[in-house]
Amino acid sequence: MDAISQWRKQWFDYIQYLRQEKGFLDDQFVQLKKLQDENSPDFVVEVISLFFQDSEKLLNNMANSFEQEVVDFKQIDAHVHQFKGSSASIGAMRIKNVCVTFKNYCEAQNMDGCLRCLQQLQQECSVLKNKLEKLLNLERQILAAGGSIPVLE
Amino acid sequence: MAALQRVVQSSVTTAGSSYAAAAAAACKAVLGSSAAVSNALCGEQVVSDQFPVGLKVLVVDDDTTCLRIVEQMLRRCLYHGLFRACFFLSTDFIANFALLFSYELYLALFVGQNCVTTCSQATAALKLLREKKGCFDVILSDVHMPDMDGYKLLEHVGLEMDLPVIMMSADGRTSAVMKGIRHGACDYLIKPIREEELKNIWQHVIRKKRNENKDFEQSGSFEDNDRSKRVNEDAEYASSVIEDTEGLKSQKKRSNYKEEDDGELDNDDPSTSKKPRVVWSVELHQQFVSAVNQLGLDKAVPKRILELMNVPGLTRENVASHLQKFRLYLKRLSGGVPQQQSGISSTFCGSMESNAKLSSLGRLDIQALAASGQIPPQTLAALHAELLGRPAGNLVPTMDQPALLHASLQGPKRVPIEHGLAFGQTLVKGQSNIFKQFPQPIFSVDDVSSRYGAWPSNSIGTVGPSNSVEGVTNQNSHLLMDILQQHRQQQQKQPQLPQPSMLPEPSRSINVQPSCLVVPSHTSASFQAGSPASVNQSCSFNRSSVIDYSILSPQSGNSAFHGGHILNGDVKTTGIACGYSAPGSSSTLSSCSLNADNTTSRQNPTATYGDTRQLPGIGPNIADIQGSYGAKSGEILDQGPLRNLGFVNKGTRIPSRFAVDEFEPPMNNSNHGKVHSESNGNPVKQEPSMDCSDNAKVGAPVFLQFPSNDLMSVFTK
Repeated sequence: MDAISQWRKQWFDYIQYLRQEKGFLDDQFVQLKKLQDENSPDFVVEVISLFFQDSEKLLNNMANSFEQEVVDFKQIDAHVHQFKGSSASIGAMRIKNVCVTFKNYCEAQNMDGCLRCLQQLQQECSVLKNKLEKLLNLERQILAAGGSIPVLE
Repeated sequence: MAALQRVVQSSVTTAGSSYAAAAAAACKAVLGSSAAVSNALCGEQVVSDQFPVGLKVLVVDDDTTCLRIVEQMLRRCLYHGLFRACFFLSTDFIANFALLFSYELYLALFVGQNCVTTCSQATAALKLLREKKGCFDVILSDVHMPDMDGYKLLEHVGLEMDLPVIMMSADGRTSAVMKGIRHGACDYLIKPIREEELKNIWQHVIRKKRNENKDFEQSGSFEDNDRSKRVNEDAEYASSVIEDTEGLKSQKKRSNYKEEDDGELDNDDPSTSKKPRVVWSVELHQQFVSAVNQLGLDKAVPKRILELMNVPGLTRENVASHLQKFRLYLKRLSGGVPQQQSGISSTFCGSMESNAKLSSLGRLDIQALAASGQIPPQTLAALHAELLGRPAGNLVPTMDQPALLHASLQGPKRVPIEHGLAFGQTLVKGQSNIFKQFPQPIFSVDDVSSRYGAWPSNSIGTVGPSNSVEGVTNQNSHLLMDILQQHRQQQQKQPQLPQPSMLPEPSRSINVQPSCLVVPSHTSASFQAGSPASVNQSCSFNRSSVIDYSILSPQSGNSAFHGGHILNGDVKTTGIACGYSAPGSSSTLSSCSLNADNTTSRQNPTATYGDTRQLPGIGPNIADIQGSYGAKSGEILDQGPLRNLGFVNKGTRIPSRFAVDEFEPPMNNSNHGKVHSESNGNPVKQEPSMDCSDNAKVGAPVFLQFPSNDLMSVFTK
């Protein structure tokens, strides 16, 4: 029991850290967690893995686009747009913000800016992935021990 | 097409195969009753808190993450309070079902039934929607999807199944939202989407149902301003033709308004809110459209449409609401929405566009314009005509009205003609909208002229620009033109009136004038350019035109007769030659040029020179109309030819009035007819796949009956 409450606190602190101090996640993530219910107990995990699958695809597509002789900024912009939508949907705030900048560079057809943003996106994604994995592991730990995840408001 | 569909709807078979059939049937019943109940609810202003339960939602998004999240949100919304709501909605059904089977089964089948269907491809979604009409109450769609623009999907849905569509996008710019509104989205959610927003979407279903019945008057009045101008123009001509009097404009306007008012009043019927909903099938819609076309959009009153449609069980209210939607739709189309060049969003739009493409002139201009500004194609066409010297609206309406008259007089035989003419009227509408949008005709004219110049293939460019400029200077005020034209028409009309049998023909001939003028310039231009390819193409198309004529003759006695008449004239030989052989085309060209000279010389005295010259612009437009109509309606053969004839005849009419000899007009007409076909032919040939496919795709739902093959065959012959 002691261990569980400790984990719970750890989990809570960690998510606060992700939300407030680092701004990795925003309220949308909280919403996401609220959507998880007994009908779909793995909802958050499912969505997050969907997101990272998609993001990998999108990042690859973007990278490919930049390697083309003629860079199709419109196409890239479409990718970024989707990325923005999905990151916003899971509450990945920092990724979303990079996407906003990225889109601006796309519109300006600023190659350097775009490439920088692409790099940033890749980085942010891997960072977020690690953080979320850590968070989800904690959750699993808590649940495995028979505890419950604290409710965020 | 292989969709990554995730149809979440749990299969009924889980409940046991023996129950599956019953369940499937029952499912429908539940849906039906829920719809009925919702109607009742609206009427009584009683809406349960749990209403969204049972709502069938289709979510379309290429972003699987978003898709999953939205799906989850929706499910949660819809699951909550399921039992109570279902009970509330269809107590009797539940009771019976529970008696027959078991309550648990009921819960498993209906309450547990997922109401959310997701789809990651817009095309797949559209397919799904078409296959399962009536299975969805509301659609949530992403805006940016690779396979189909969300707006396009939106328009398809708006026309084919008339469901409330809610757009979703991470793009929250005002322009994007506005675009959604213009395309008829009932809501626009900015990603990330929150559960709270989805909880409310049921309101759109209710609102839509209510609007269908009640809001007609509102929107109608809303439209009034826009329509008034159109009405004035159309009506004036119409009345001038019909009544054959030179009444004051104001009077006419008033009478028109009265008509409008009557229409509106008719629609304003409180009992409507409780009528069951009618599913507008493709066939039904087509009937509706043809009825509207027969009447003319501005004259189309639900009652009359209903009479024309003659569909048992259909009520005037149904028609009224559909008419309203149809009008709004057309309005949207002319609202400067579509930016895509090909196969624009809606079926109607698509057809119009394809028309535009059909005529070589029209196509290029339109596309260019559409690309440069957000001008919808048909608007453009109309604009063209108008700016280029003759208000297209005038032309078309005048044509339409007499034609309609004739039709009514002559009965069923005339039907094809009516169609074609009526269709022209819709075009007119678009045009009237144009007025609104482009307060400064000159500007747009410049645009057009430049386009002409830019046109690569045909040498028309050189001629075009200068002409158009002239036209602009001459015609700064449309009104003047209109008046002038009206006078002309009236005058023309009078001579014709004495010969009742001739009426149909003369009326048609009226429109032709512009086309005649157009023809010469067009052909000559192309010839100068020395592009044999174009000539050949035109030839082949001419051939089709010839065929059309022959076809015409059987169908409508008068029209056919006239056609033959015209052909018999000098032109006839040339025309035929053109149709059949390339060498013939050269002769046609010469004849065309001759005609052009004649016409110009004739009309110069009347100071309409600029007009005539610019008429080429009109030519394409007309062609467009024809093409579009043909494409749309399987009776392409009939209508296409009829149209040609009609235009030709009209052309003859005007010239005749101005011209000393009556003989020449016929020539013009025949040429004219050819030219039209030519213009049609060129585009078709060049991009047959595009046009046809567009039609097929876009128009498929509405115009399923008319295989694109017909079109192709006609044109390729």
